[in-house]
Amino acid sequence: MTIRRRTAAVLAGLSLALSPLLVPVLSGGGGALMPRAAAEPAKATRVLRIGAIPDQKPEKLNRLYPLVAAELSRQLGVTVKYVPVVDYTAAVSAFRTGDLDLVWFGGLTGVQARLQKPGSRVLAQRDIDVAFHSIFIASTASGIQPFRDQKDLARLKGKRFTFGSESSTSGRLMPQYFLSQAGVKLSDFAGGAPGFSGSHDATIALVQSGTYDAGVVNEQVWRTSLHDGKAKRSKVVAIWKSPGYQDYHWIAQGDLDQRFGKGFTVKLQQAIVSWRPGDPQQKQILALFGAQQFTPAEAAAYAKIEQVGRQIGKIR
Amino acid sequence: MRPAPPLLLLLPALVLVPVLLALPGLLHGGGLDLIMEFAAAALTPSLDPVVLRALLAGVGVTVGMALVGWGISLIAGLVLGLASSRTLWRTLLGHALPADLIRRLLALPRSIHELLWGLLLLQVLGLQPAVAVLAIAIPYSALVARVVSDLLDALPTANLEALRAGGAPGPAALLTALGPPLLPGVLSYGGYRLECALRSATLLGVFGLGGLGTDLKLSLQSLEFHELWSGLWLLLAVMLLLETWVGLLRRRWGMPRRLALHQPGVGRRGREMVLALGTLLPLLVWVGRALGVDPAVLLHWQPLPGLESGHWQAVLSLPWPQLVGGTLLLTVLAAALAVGLAPLQLLVAAPWPWARWLVGFSWVLARLWPPPLTLLLLLFVLKPSLITAALALGLHNLGILGRLLREGLQDQSPAAQQALLAAGSGPRLALFYGRMSGVARSYLAYGAYRSDVMLRETVVVGLAGAVGLGSQMLESLSSFAWDQLAALVLVYALLTLVGEELSDRLRRRLLRGS
Repeated sequence: MTIRRRTAAVLAGLSLALSPLLVPVLSGGGGALMPRAAAEPAKATRVLRIGAIPDQKPEKLNRLYPLVAAELSRQLGVTVKYVPVVDYTAAVSAFRTGDLDLVWFGGLTGVQARLQKPGSRVLAQRDIDVAFHSIFIASTASGIQPFRDQKDLARLKGKRFTFGSESSTSGRLMPQYFLSQAGVKLSDFAGGAPGFSGSHDATIALVQSGTYDAGVVNEQVWRTSLHDGKAKRSKVVAIWKSPGYQDYHWIAQGDLDQRFGKGFTVKLQQAIVSWRPGDPQQKQILALFGAQQFTPAEAAAYAKIEQVGRQIGKIR
Repeated sequence: MRPAPPLLLLLPALVLVPVLLALPGLLHGGGLDLIMEFAAAALTPSLDPVVLRALLAGVGVTVGMALVGWGISLIAGLVLGLASSRTLWRTLLGHALPADLIRRLLALPRSIHELLWGLLLLQVLGLQPAVAVLAIAIPYSALVARVVSDLLDALPTANLEALRAGGAPGPAALLTALGPPLLPGVLSYGGYRLECALRSATLLGVFGLGGLGTDLKLSLQSLEFHELWSGLWLLLAVMLLLETWVGLLRRRWGMPRRLALHQPGVGRRGREMVLALGTLLPLLVWVGRALGVDPAVLLHWQPLPGLESGHWQAVLSLPWPQLVGGTLLLTVLAAALAVGLAPLQLLVAAPWPWARWLVGFSWVLARLWPPPLTLLLLLFVLKPSLITAALALGLHNLGILGRLLREGLQDQSPAAQQALLAAGSGPRLALFYGRMSGVARSYLAYGAYRSDVMLRETVVVGLAGAVGLGSQMLESLSSFAWDQLAALVLVYALLTLVGEELSDRLRRRLLRGS
């Protein structure tokens, strides 16, 4: 082999070995494995890191929570950062490990988080969370007709059925509870098990396409999807609306007063509760949350969720 | 009666009979429109600069995670491999007991899939970039260690004994006698592990540990097929680049192929190798820093909650026979599908060049897609079932095995095939008896090893489907039931170790027969 060929080969090898160096450059430094905020140690910074269970499409979450962060930052005078997580379990874990300071949890994940992190505080819920509903939906192709009586949930036996996330309150926990009251076991669905679509939006899309005959979603996402035209009435219909139960709420770490100054937790709660449709910024946030306003919430309100969670084995 | 070797090759394909029989019952076709939409989107990926920039960042993270995890595992695996080599201890201490002890200890990290390591580490370390890197590095180190020690102990010891008899001190004799012959095997295996690491890093992303996998999963879940394909094409480019590069270096440095188990190889181009290894270390450090990997986080352990009250009664009442049975059946089905389909596809496609190309391309796609994504796609048209999960797992491994088979076939001498063709036999028969008979045993032996890998991988489709130990694991994880998780991981580890032993024996038998 000539020297020239050898040199060329060495250069080729080197450039390939070094090619990964280019990637972070190309990606403009956005190549952090986890969002930067999550990688920063909690004590050294005065950044309030907020998060949420990923119950809807990432595009929507990415539109909503940076708005929330900006608004809280303006009201409280601290830096607020939104840290996205990929599933419900990860949100609970990140709260326990102290990577998130304030999280928008569902009923079940909130109880899980509080049990795992004693001292954490329930701050606020939406007006609609006092009596939140699940909507069972079915594709028109499945031929399942709407019904009034809970007992008729038994019609779903033998159908292809999907929940949302495993840890979703309105997309799994309470629906499973209502199903079991109607005598439907998880093994009664086609294929011997229900699906877990991961989020409410995914459930609607999968039922609408006919992948599943039926599914269950939270009422607020269902209404929004009908309103946006994402859910087409010709393809997917609501078949049953569940009784009300307590759902989503904001939970904060118990040590925020030590880290951000005395009375910070109360100020944070007041800030959230003060959002009104009169303010353009706050109006946008409330609209994305599907709420008129937030109200202070108590941990005691979630006793029923905890009880059902224990019954189904999601809380231990 | 012993079937002829090439017929042995087609035996696993018999699994197609029950699978094809069961398929009509599983088809629901409900999501056929979605599948069409998905296929059409392949030609019209999203070119939105915002999407592309995010995907490029994702690719960067995935490649970075793979590279750093792989680098650490290579170094740690080499050290651990030396530490678990019987030859080494016998030369230095006089007996091999410590080697056996270390080997046993290393079985545990090896038997747990990198995904489980990732999910468990996430619980104790929090949302840290180091989690994904460690999740790859831990099982890979143990795997590399096993291969290194196996290679080392299989080397002829005549040179070593001669040097020792001549009065050379232990360490120097070891390095001189065993270093050079060990190198090609280690380099070849190292290159292969880098390809595996890229697949693992993508998979970890699918389960939320960052990088391109996360983007792919989210796009599929929100049915954004155009964005999904932009990501898949990018990943394809990276994968092919990596495979080509590893193949190039393998040929250039005279390393043995994976299917050619007996081919003696002598490492060449020492200067190039030293140069490459020399650049690798600073490169790893640099990439690690760019990813934000901070070794200090390993010291900040978060306690697992609720460990004080183990509900062992509840753990015992899990449906263990179904879980274990489902896992095993899933492995056997998937393994038979993967091992059996590859030669069958090559035979069917043999007469037409375009068909051969198509088969090759379908394999590229198969190994490109993480199995959970394939499963989600399959669920658009198939009911959830064990066979659906087996298809997803089998197809992914088919992509890996098929490529190996083709490489192995290319290495065979073409003489027999040409003779058969000249004698007037058809292209299929010529390929079958002319080439495939030569690789049949080593291919099946590799298939035995791969089914052992598939047993570990059942956790991946189990998590996304509803089959076996894997599905129960996800349920237990989202319930934060540590006692159940611990029991499940333990059972998984046991199964893997037993499976490893069985596949080792099968492999040895197959190779002895050749």
